[in-house]
Amino acid sequence: MGSEEMGDRVFQHRNSSNILNCPSSVMATTSISDNVAGMSICSESMFKPPNGIDPFYSSGWDPVISGDQSGNFGNSSMVLQNEFTNPNYPVLLENQTMGSSSHLVHFPSDSGLVGMVPKIPSFGSGSFSDIVSSFGHSNFPQNNGAGVQNAVKNVEDPQDHRQDSENGVLGASPNGKRKRKNVEVEKQKDQTGDTVELQKEYDEKKNVGSNSRGRQAVKEAKDNSSGAEASKENYIHVRAKRGQATNSHSLAERVRRERISERMRLLQELVPGCNKITGKAVMLDEIINYVQSLQQQVEFLSMKLATVNPELNVDIERLLSKDILHSRGSNATALGIGPGLNSSHPFQGLPQGTLNAFPGTAPPFHSLPQNLWNNELQNILQNGFDSSPSVGSLGPNGLSKMEL
Amino acid sequence: MKNPTTNPSSSMIRTRFAVRFLHAMKKLNKKTPAPSPYRRRFHTIRAAACASMACAVGPRKAWSRAILKKIRARTLHHYLINKSRNQQMMMIKRGNPRDEELAVGFGYGEEDDLRGLVPGGEGMGFCRLLSETAHYIKCLRAQVQVMTNVLDHYSST
Repeated sequence: MGSEEMGDRVFQHRNSSNILNCPSSVMATTSISDNVAGMSICSESMFKPPNGIDPFYSSGWDPVISGDQSGNFGNSSMVLQNEFTNPNYPVLLENQTMGSSSHLVHFPSDSGLVGMVPKIPSFGSGSFSDIVSSFGHSNFPQNNGAGVQNAVKNVEDPQDHRQDSENGVLGASPNGKRKRKNVEVEKQKDQTGDTVELQKEYDEKKNVGSNSRGRQAVKEAKDNSSGAEASKENYIHVRAKRGQATNSHSLAERVRRERISERMRLLQELVPGCNKITGKAVMLDEIINYVQSLQQQVEFLSMKLATVNPELNVDIERLLSKDILHSRGSNATALGIGPGLNSSHPFQGLPQGTLNAFPGTAPPFHSLPQNLWNNELQNILQNGFDSSPSVGSLGPNGLSKMEL
Repeated sequence: MKNPTTNPSSSMIRTRFAVRFLHAMKKLNKKTPAPSPYRRRFHTIRAAACASMACAVGPRKAWSRAILKKIRARTLHHYLINKSRNQQMMMIKRGNPRDEELAVGFGYGEEDDLRGLVPGGEGMGFCRLLSETAHYIKCLRAQVQVMTNVLDHYSST
């Protein structure tokens, strides 16, 4: 059937499994099989020239797209009226839509529902992502949305159509628009490249000045709560604590600040010697110094590697195992041996952890007995390098006894 | 204090990086053994270290994507230099918009420094920058450890 073929071409993305399942599930699960049949027939008429614009689409959508389905209004509305009887309509709606791919939501009044009105996909033009994005609402279960978003991503350029969908729902509830934008951005954050990052930055900056419900919708998307809520209340309430301002701006600011401080705490654990530091500026300075020092170490090491001429018949496997075991050793000496290695070292100002991991031409470490080494080897063979770091390296002599 | 990099994820990264880096070193040593100019070897090794780190991490992080993009643009650049000069070079230079123009700093001096340090840090928000920095630090540390061990092994045998 033509629609299924087109569906397969569209849904070739790696996460398309749930969407590919949708047609079958639609056939199986919905109780409106006659309407579904009607839908599949109607979907073939998608590429008819527009016969007119439904007044419902006066919110500024692409007339070509909206006009495609003018002949299908009756079927669609009947289908969807059946679906809207239960509060879990978003899930069914999504299944329905993705299955037939020629849906219309025909409910003008409710603000939450209006936000979900899809555009009609005419494959090859821009609106399929809009249908999807209008379902990328926070009213929408997030795993489904992610799959749908992924499928869309391959079809179109996401940035254009994100903006399209933004324009499209301007007339609808502003909450819906902002939520959808945030949710789209949040979901596609890790998938597309710089464009998404830019868009997210743009959205974040916009939302600093937006109302608190927009920000809460972002929170909701992140918290994975899905659409069993009432149609209008699509967001979590962030409760202001006692004595804090309840202004919407400050709520958004507070969320942002919490996120940033959480990341700063993570970084504080990563950068050695920063436990006592409180304050963002000093912390940032430390982080910058640490990153610079690590990069310098890499350069120094590569310089030394350039001068070294290794034996040409080095076995990669042996090298690898020695590497990992060596790394256990260098970790241990970072804990144990300490100051003796620092004096000949160029990086004086650094905390000891990094310095000890960077011996350069330092002598081998004679630290720990051989039975610990045995345990280490066994652990590594079992777990794949998950053992404790307290085993020292015995230097090359010890290793040559131990290997094989 | 236990070394925080001994969790499974960082050892995975370390293994992946070590494999790629060692392969690259092997290839390099076959092509240009040590007595040849150190400077050239140094540059190649440094590029190989960055590239294998970025490949080991994959396209999941923005900084690794930035490094991979840069490398691919550079190899394409070199390739086209060898083929023909003028126009294609100009196209490449223009067509790879690094996001310096799109940096949205909040006015902290340190933050801009951090953006300059972390690859690909120009075009993202502060919050995102911090998480990218955290991951980048982890990977840099793993890189230093592996390269240290390789160096030890080479210099001792």
